[in-house]
Amino acid sequence: MTDNNVAKSDLSVQLGRLTLANPILVASGTFGYAREMERLVDLSRLGGILPKTITKAPRAGNHPWRTIETSAGLLNSIGLDNDGIDAFIAHHLPYLASLSTSVIVSIAGRSQDEFVELASRLSEEDGIAGLELNISCPNVTGGVDYGTDPTLCEKLVANVRESCRLPVIAKLTPNVTCIADIACAAAAGGADAVSLINTVLGMAIDWKRQRPMLGNVVGGLSGPAIKPVALRCVHQVARAVDIPIIGIGGISNIDDAMEFLVAGASAVQIGTANYYDPTVSMTILDQLPDALKQLGATRTDDIVRSLQLPEPVEPATVAPTA
Amino acid sequence: MSNPLHAKFYADQATQSSVEVVENLEMARDTYRVRFRCPEIAARALPGQFVMLRLANYDDPLIGRPLAVYDVLQSQAGEPESIDVLYLVKGKLTTRLVNFQPGQRLDVWGPLGNGFEPIATSHLVMVAGGIGQTPFVCLAKEYLGLQSFGTPAREPARSKRVTLCYGGRSAELLAGVEDFKQLGVDVRIATDDGSLGHHGLVTDVLSRVLAESEQECQVVCCGPEPMMEAVAKVTANADVPCRVSLETPMACGIGICFTCVAKVRDDSGEWDYKRTCVDGPVFDAELIEW
Repeated sequence: MTDNNVAKSDLSVQLGRLTLANPILVASGTFGYAREMERLVDLSRLGGILPKTITKAPRAGNHPWRTIETSAGLLNSIGLDNDGIDAFIAHHLPYLASLSTSVIVSIAGRSQDEFVELASRLSEEDGIAGLELNISCPNVTGGVDYGTDPTLCEKLVANVRESCRLPVIAKLTPNVTCIADIACAAAAGGADAVSLINTVLGMAIDWKRQRPMLGNVVGGLSGPAIKPVALRCVHQVARAVDIPIIGIGGISNIDDAMEFLVAGASAVQIGTANYYDPTVSMTILDQLPDALKQLGATRTDDIVRSLQLPEPVEPATVAPTA
Repeated sequence: MSNPLHAKFYADQATQSSVEVVENLEMARDTYRVRFRCPEIAARALPGQFVMLRLANYDDPLIGRPLAVYDVLQSQAGEPESIDVLYLVKGKLTTRLVNFQPGQRLDVWGPLGNGFEPIATSHLVMVAGGIGQTPFVCLAKEYLGLQSFGTPAREPARSKRVTLCYGGRSAELLAGVEDFKQLGVDVRIATDDGSLGHHGLVTDVLSRVLAESEQECQVVCCGPEPMMEAVAKVTANADVPCRVSLETPMACGIGICFTCVAKVRDDSGEWDYKRTCVDGPVFDAELIEW
């Protein structure tokens, strides 16, 4: 036998115009600006890094408490705390661009014009592999409509694509009746890929004080608690669109990652698990070739969308409504 | 660091490891001390730094807890070998941790945070409330010249005199008083119920210590926020420099989640949310917007 199976595996994935070294990415908002993780994680091994979402103007973010632990999950209402695009380009991008890893910049605008402005400015910068449109953050006012209204979503994605040369990924919210409808709209608008899911709207209450626990009253739930919801969303979207999907939601070990790939994701983003197991991305990456081999595969692509459904399938439960 | 937006301190020395519990002892009512073997972290930990601790393979509780490094223990050969942390039993994680036996494993990452910079003083006055005494054993050891910290060992600051003003609700909740006394720390107690020491607030004790001290003093403080705010007022009035170690709730401890923010003023007097895990937990008291 030669060296090992790792050498033989081709982990690279193609997401529209975007090529990644492997399918293990880290999700926006759960990895800071990567510099924080330099000591704990070999950043060069990651398939992609999504730094914390940036906005046009600096945002202080929401009042504490900003996160509350729930059963197998974490509620957050951080509120896109960031220093704005100017500071990002001046202070964070040079570091990110120096890494030999694909950097996908997550952006959020309050209006279509803001999204377009952010995209066209970043399009002029070196060292960015793609953009992820955060049209799904539950903790801010404005911007979420693009993730809940198919017409607005399609128009936004189309306008952003027109305004920049970079591959565009739309990050979708599960807080809709039919996520496949939104994914179809993003695909129609020309998205290179869709990523899903962002957090699930939730709440925590201190009944003794009769008050909400989060500073922002409601927040987004993440972590293992939402994995079944995320898997269902990926499955539904995979049956509705042809563009690649990036699966997100409660992934904390190799089994979780494999479930998403089989369900239809071409790549995955690890989110909340980075908080409670900082080296989790490396662990999953180490175990990926062996897991592929268990399915007789050497390439990530071999198992993407390989879910075998029982017959007959009731179309009403899996097909988009539009 | 030249970059103004970068935190002052990242997890530059941190490692994540699965560690073995060496012992897990009750120190006071609802207060335990867990010791675990972690030579890498022990070798790097500085006074005032913390570790994140998590029950491996548990989804509930999911998130780690920040705990101050209470003590760094050395092997017989004099090498840093294990760490003690003190914890108050009050939630899902600590309720389970109480039952951990020697040999069982925990997930730990650290050392984290800026810790206390060594700043020389004639009289170091440590003020603790509740479980806030935890960062001060290492600090006292360093200032009294009893132990060095970091690899290579950092240049310590020294103090001829170290006092601990320690306030709690009741005598049975005070933990580690003997540990401090054994180091040669002058311990002054205050309890809400008068069961030990001064019957009243720890700030009363602090005011007296500062008034009586004939030396140049420096105050460090850790405890509940209202108590730290009160201490900051006392030190401001007495014109004594004060550093506080904030106990803000955290989710990651390494700067990636933006949970643990506190309002910290900059040179212009404007406040911004700073992450206490990477910009702190130790701040100049006068910069905190309480």
